Amino acid sequence: MRPAQQLKASLKEIDDLKAALDEHAIVAVTDPRGKINYVNEKFCAISKYSRQELLGQDHRLINSGWHSRDFMRDLWATIARGKVWKGEIKNKAKDGSFYWVDTTIVPFLDEEGKPCKYVAIRADITERKKAEAAAAHLAAIVECSDDAIVGKDLRGTVTSWNTGAEKVFGYAAAEMVGQSITRLIPSERLEEEQRILSQIERGENVRHFETVRVRKDGRPIEVSVMVSAIRDQTGRIVGASKVARDITEHKAAMAEIAKLNAELEKRVTERTAELEAFSYSVSHDLRAPVRAIAGFARMLQADFAERLPLEARQKLFRIHENALKLGQLIDGLLAFSRLGRQALNKRTLCPGALVNGVLEELQSEQRDRNVTISVGQLPECEADPLLLQQVFTNLISNALKYTRQRNPAVIEIGARRQDGACVYFVKDNGAGFDMEYAHKLFGVFQRLHREDEFEGTGVGLAIVQRIVNRHGGRVWAEGRPENGATFYFTLQDPL
Amino acid sequence: MSDAAAEIVLVEDSPDDADFFVHVFEKTGLAARLHILTDGAEALDFVFCAGRYAGRDPSCRPNVIILDLKLPKVNGLEVLRQLKADPRTRSVPVVVLSSSQEERDLVASFELGANSYIVKPMEFEEFSQTARLIAQYWIQFNQPPRT
Repeated sequence: MRPAQQLKASLKEIDDLKAALDEHAIVAVTDPRGKINYVNEKFCAISKYSRQELLGQDHRLINSGWHSRDFMRDLWATIARGKVWKGEIKNKAKDGSFYWVDTTIVPFLDEEGKPCKYVAIRADITERKKAEAAAAHLAAIVECSDDAIVGKDLRGTVTSWNTGAEKVFGYAAAEMVGQSITRLIPSERLEEEQRILSQIERGENVRHFETVRVRKDGRPIEVSVMVSAIRDQTGRIVGASKVARDITEHKAAMAEIAKLNAELEKRVTERTAELEAFSYSVSHDLRAPVRAIAGFARMLQADFAERLPLEARQKLFRIHENALKLGQLIDGLLAFSRLGRQALNKRTLCPGALVNGVLEELQSEQRDRNVTISVGQLPECEADPLLLQQVFTNLISNALKYTRQRNPAVIEIGARRQDGACVYFVKDNGAGFDMEYAHKLFGVFQRLHREDEFEGTGVGLAIVQRIVNRHGGRVWAEGRPENGATFYFTLQDPL
Repeated sequence: MSDAAAEIVLVEDSPDDADFFVHVFEKTGLAARLHILTDGAEALDFVFCAGRYAGRDPSCRPNVIILDLKLPKVNGLEVLRQLKADPRTRSVPVVVLSSSQEERDLVASFELGANSYIVKPMEFEEFSQTARLIAQYWIQFNQPPRT
């Protein structure tokens, strides 16, 4: 071959190689200062700059700023020394997006041995980098989980073991990877693993399976396990991932709660039984001697009165009165205690009808008195009719009692809306009370008046409060000495 | 009215209540024998003619048994149960006279076949009147079967 022909053939070969290179790689040539003298199509495509925009520009145009100063300094130092540099670089395209390139920079030297140009050949690895980042992210999630996340193949050999697994089971990854998972399973439960693996092989996952495993230190722990199949790219099941959570403490806490609840329930039952036994015994045993005292006093009065001096008869009278009073107190206390136990029989009702019934019953207490009673609109409510009637009976008979010295006695029964709740009230113009003692009004056996002013047992308002509370409501009162009192109650507290 | 003398049985462990009853009963002037039994076991012996009442004539049935509930040895409800479970004594009227106003005592008494349940009034006058009415009603007005 002639030299011209040879040259032509060589040039053709170089062209062919260049064409092949351009097909595969991103190519750029810069001068020793980094000024771009040549870019191929792929360079333009990935950097999104046109050739015109690139030629003559500093190569730093596509610098992403992502790499450290040391990294860049090392790169330049290497090629300036005439050495080839290889590495992965993150660059910035014209539109601000980033791309990764696997890069080889080859310095070409002049006669003096100094670099006269750099040829950079790169391959786009952006996708791979993204995948790596995603994988690293997933790995980090797995790694930082408190749950044990374990990979195993279909023979039960451990393939991965996260930090959570180290904490839960006490074995380091190095001790477990390559070992059989059965190491964790107590001997009496070994068949579990076989069952799990065959389930996985059939493509079924295992959800929240609670079992026992053994830690490296021999301590058994209760775990909740989820096992899912791992498939390869072709969809074939190649193993299983197992997430295990140590629920020993949780279980212990649940058991403790159950135990405490049972104890509490037992105690409530005992207390209720005690209380019932108590009031049953009060009902039988306390009433009998009271009846005897009253009875014998009465028999004495009936059979021996004329033989007794006046003073003795008076004292006998007081014994009898007091015995009766004690009887009333006992009955009041019993009624009060029964209220706490009796089931509520709630229904929708009109308090107006109840109030009319109560007023009818209390007719006798108005005899020979000037009493004005007004009943306003009383909205429907949910309540136990007998108990609500008791509330009105107690409040209205109180109103009648404490207005005894009034002429006229004025009693008003009504209702109003307040903060979304229906508030019923019974208002009178009677003896009233000092607000300073308002807190004592509803206590059992608490009285704000002397027995010789207004008789009573001190149970009525306590009963009112108990009934109202059992309905989920509230009772309160306002009053001033000698200026009347108003008792308010709700049956349900508004939400 | 039966030819045999009328009989009232009072089962009452409280001597006070028993005294009241006797006091009232004597004032009624009713021609009847009053037996006072002080515990449940004695009451059962009496009605079934056993123990110290073994010699009692079983055909002699009281006009009424007035039964307290809270009794030593065998309680009133148990006495009532045995009495009403036995064909020989089932038809003997039983009036429960108790201090208890507890609903469960009322329910249990009537379920076991009590003929009446009366809460002992606290006041003596009321108690006297109640006792008198019970005695009069069961002796003068009630008509028991002959056999």
